[in-house]
Amino acid sequence: MADAHGQDIPEHALARLAGLRREGHPGGIFTSDFSVNEFLLVRKAGFEPVGLCVGSCIYHLGFQFAGWSANQEMDVLSTAMYEARALAMERMRLEAAQMGADGIVGVRLTVKRLEWDAKILEFVAIGTGVVHAKGHQGFKGPNGQPFTSALSGQDFWTLLAAGYRPLEMVMGSCVYHVARRGPLATLGSVGQNVELTNFSLALYEAREIAMERMQTEAAQAGAEGVVGADLHEGSHNWSPHVIEFFAIGTAVLPIEGHETDDIPDPKLVLSVNS
Amino acid sequence: MGLFSRNSVTPKNRAEHEARAAAWEQALDRQSLPPFVVDRLQNAAIGKTPWVATMSPAELLLAKSHGVKPIATVSGTCWFHYGWSWTEGHEEGWHHALNRIRREAIACGANAIVDVRMRTLRHSFGPSMDFTLIGTAIRVDGLKPSPDPIVATVPALEFVRLLEMGIVPVGIAVGARYDWLGGGYGNGWGSNAWGGRQTQWQTSAFAGNQPLTELGTFWEGVRREAHAALRANAATMGNGVLAHTHFGEILKQERDKQPPAYLGRHIVVGTVVDTPRGADVPHTIEPVIDMRDALSPLKRTGEVRHAIYDTDSSEQEGSI
Repeated sequence: MADAHGQDIPEHALARLAGLRREGHPGGIFTSDFSVNEFLLVRKAGFEPVGLCVGSCIYHLGFQFAGWSANQEMDVLSTAMYEARALAMERMRLEAAQMGADGIVGVRLTVKRLEWDAKILEFVAIGTGVVHAKGHQGFKGPNGQPFTSALSGQDFWTLLAAGYRPLEMVMGSCVYHVARRGPLATLGSVGQNVELTNFSLALYEAREIAMERMQTEAAQAGAEGVVGADLHEGSHNWSPHVIEFFAIGTAVLPIEGHETDDIPDPKLVLSVNS
Repeated sequence: MGLFSRNSVTPKNRAEHEARAAAWEQALDRQSLPPFVVDRLQNAAIGKTPWVATMSPAELLLAKSHGVKPIATVSGTCWFHYGWSWTEGHEEGWHHALNRIRREAIACGANAIVDVRMRTLRHSFGPSMDFTLIGTAIRVDGLKPSPDPIVATVPALEFVRLLEMGIVPVGIAVGARYDWLGGGYGNGWGSNAWGGRQTQWQTSAFAGNQPLTELGTFWEGVRREAHAALRANAATMGNGVLAHTHFGEILKQERDKQPPAYLGRHIVVGTVVDTPRGADVPHTIEPVIDMRDALSPLKRTGEVRHAIYDTDSSEQEGSI
């Protein structure tokens, strides 16, 4: 059976449709939360999914007191938020290594509050372990560990086409207490347009710390750069003056022997049926 | 029939109504279909009545060019009451619905059901819920009716593309497990009456930063079991599971003069595919930049296709 492009439906697919073949594959089941398109693109990039990799960490946050009027990092919370995520990612990577994966694509990190205790957070890292279909070993991450990347299947194909390979997800966290303004300062600015410099300063500083930490991780991984870097602000049910800045991205390294000329020039298209 | 004539609504008389109800009851009991449903499906199959499809015109175009013909809309419903387990009730409920939709597909001589969607009504009558699957039964030109039609969650458009690339979406796999940490009410399989103490002091008022090791290990165990159940279920159909949707939660139960007990439950649902390892992708992929504004990253929004377990979307609230 051929379609307009001359593509045939393979024999094994037709046999399955006719109900002629029903045997399962008790040995090699892969599981993945890829969409169909992601699956195709990962395949096109030369990789096969082996299994869903999950790491989780349920973490109890310690307590830290911050002065009413102090701009300061809440280092107990910074440590907690960082350590818990690192543990979840490490466990995910361990699962990947156990199933013999070369790396993990499409990692999502989530933080869930548990309803019954505000001091407990559940951190989950989830992604799909993949192997190079031809057994190429050059895609492993640092120290021969599986690579990790927050890229979707689509982004993964595009990154490889651009001549880079993912190394490791890198992150930095900074939980910061933004000082309250004193009554005199508040009184002094009534009816005036003024910058609240201590607020500006606090946000700048906290964001800077988070980004520096992420950059340090990338340097340690031996990366050339970080793609898909993003900065999240979050307040996990803390008091309104406590904010977490969280920087995350995927550290990448150029693929040896890949030339800029290899990259196809994208076509500009405009779909007219929507 | 005249141009503007209407069919009047004639309620079924009591005898007819009772006959139909009895036929349904008998069919559910015998795992078969009532005669009037079989008639409807078979008439659609032989072209005596019009075919019905959930496909859009674009999908119809592609289906037609590939020799795929829609037959009828088929469905499977099971309203299920959870007795001993909410979690495993979900697994069983979906399996019943799957068997029923497949039965309708067999009755109309289909090769596959495409565009299968998981649905539920947002009503709750006590500890129960309806598990519903709706899809379009299709036949492929030149193939005999299948004794075991495949259940594809993808729309017709993607279905045909997938077949070309050697990937057959064959069914839906479900894996669900729950367990108690501490307590144990005679209904969890690995209940541990002594658990929960470590968690109690790890979460006490004076506890500092620390991972909750006991609760964490317990929770990972529940999740792994659910995934193992998913794989075992999928192994009967194909060799891979894609597009997971999953739902999990930990509930805490205070107990008198004892450490609190924790209930962990986890459900995973995915699309099973059957594909040779490393199959070729026969199309070249060309990078294009679409100039439509709606696709701009400035405006991109997510979409959830199966509206059953919406944790993936609600997790956004506390994402990262």
